[in-house]
Amino acid sequence: MLSMDLEKLSSDINAKVSSANAKVVKPEEDGAGDSSILIEASSIKEVAQALLDSGVNVLQVISGVDYPDYLEVNYMFAKFDLANPGQFTLKLRVPDKANPSVESITSLYPAANWQERECYDMIGVTFNNHPDHRRILCPDDWEGFPLRKDYKVQDYYRGMVVNPDEKMNWADREFAKRQEEISKAQQEKSQD
Amino acid sequence: MQTWENSGEKFNPTQTAETEKLKSELLTLNMGPQHPATHGVLRVEIKTDSEVVAHAIPHIGYLHRCMEKHSENLDYRGIIPFVDRMDYLAAMNQEHTYVMAVESMLGTEVPRRAEYIRVLILELQRIASHLMAFGTYALDLGAFSPFLYAFDEREKILRLFEELSGARLLYNYIWIGGVWNDITSAQLYRVKEFCDHFEEELKKYDTLVSQNKIFRERTRHVGIMDEQMCYAYGATGPVLRGAGVKWDLRKVAPYSLYGELDFDVPVGDGDRDAMIGDCYSRYIVRMKEMTESVKIIRQILDGIESGPVIGKVPKVIKLPKGEVYMRTECPRGELGIHLVSDGGKTPYRLKVKSPCFTHTSMLPEIAPGQLIADFVASIGSIDIVLGEVDR
Repeated sequence: MLSMDLEKLSSDINAKVSSANAKVVKPEEDGAGDSSILIEASSIKEVAQALLDSGVNVLQVISGVDYPDYLEVNYMFAKFDLANPGQFTLKLRVPDKANPSVESITSLYPAANWQERECYDMIGVTFNNHPDHRRILCPDDWEGFPLRKDYKVQDYYRGMVVNPDEKMNWADREFAKRQEEISKAQQEKSQD
Repeated sequence: MQTWENSGEKFNPTQTAETEKLKSELLTLNMGPQHPATHGVLRVEIKTDSEVVAHAIPHIGYLHRCMEKHSENLDYRGIIPFVDRMDYLAAMNQEHTYVMAVESMLGTEVPRRAEYIRVLILELQRIASHLMAFGTYALDLGAFSPFLYAFDEREKILRLFEELSGARLLYNYIWIGGVWNDITSAQLYRVKEFCDHFEEELKKYDTLVSQNKIFRERTRHVGIMDEQMCYAYGATGPVLRGAGVKWDLRKVAPYSLYGELDFDVPVGDGDRDAMIGDCYSRYIVRMKEMTESVKIIRQILDGIESGPVIGKVPKVIKLPKGEVYMRTECPRGELGIHLVSDGGKTPYRLKVKSPCFTHTSMLPEIAPGQLIADFVASIGSIDIVLGEVDR
């Protein structure tokens, strides 16, 4: 759907920004889905400028993903041009999970303002030189980043219990636990 | 005479000489989270200079349920009801986007009849959603009766959906591989009757609201979002089309059956003294889109084929490794689903691009210089659903 020639696009990016080191990431042999372009995290601002100059006029969404070894930030760019529409995903990887930081592109694409705030709120990537770097969906003094895989909900928020026992749906939890036990037993049986 | 109306500039009373002399401290006013004009739990921190808004800072997150985190612990079929609950006014369109993302990874083929039913349902849902937008927008601007007319018609659509899926708002009707249940010919006949009746009804709305002098004066030249601003912020749907861009994913990149159907893409053209990109343009785009939806539904009723309504799907769905970004044209704009799979039974990551989130982020840009009453008109004209903004 609206796919673009990624090989050409990545070589264009490399020609304009030498430090980008752009390459095309394809789905694995037994995999499926879209291809995308992977660039060096430090070159995002120059690459965004180059894309903006080449007519990629819309940044749709920034989606952060937490992988075991690195955090990945996906920028979904699109060309809103009726004669020549297009869409592609630009990826960058931040290996430092304790202090991840990426340059903000809000000055180029105003859409990045809230999207970067959401990415910070959920995954914990800090965006340097962002004009209004705050959490957006969670309260400002919330701890942790909910969409990290190792996230644990804090016990107390401003002295209030976050998940009080009387408000938990215990019947639901017990049901889920029982289902898990049943499926485990079935798996063991099938292995025997 | 050169006035702000024909100069093409934004009306900004804070800049005139008299107001400069009278300038005083700004007053901070919290609009919401419980406010009838914010369409849910949106809080806008407004700094006002008398009746004029100087800054507006939206605060969102009051309806944040972290659906994206929930989805990581659910199997692919179990996510559909959660996707419904994001935009509760256009649940069918939401689940369709999600289901399309899963199907594109699985490579499932959807039977023709299922595609016909899907498009029929999607367009009915679009009408229902736009009716809600129409009714509440008139309500925001002080007219009560259009709301009742709109709900009367919406009720007919919801009754049909209730018969089809068993629910009135959150359907879980579009399933991976097709739809849950077949539609009967009696129900199709009722849809046809609804179309005949609804076209007359639309003429009534046009006389009652669209041509209404008070309504037009309240909405035209207010809250202008031009083409460049829409691109910069990534606006889509009626907001982008209100700015005069003929961009509709159903035409630009047809999915499902839309490539075979004949319909127009209405854009804001500045007739009836409106300005391209103002509140009235966005409103009129929605009204014209309802006519186009009726046109699509008629073609579906003529062309619907018999056959199965659900394709072959494995009992336990496991997606291959990879990721996909799928977007479709929902009533409020383009909804995007970024689905990452690691080969397991549950998604590794599910990110939803919400059109309302994008449109809410444009409010600080258009607010400065507006009267508070006009700001209410601006919020209403982008038709936000906070369930989708916060997810």
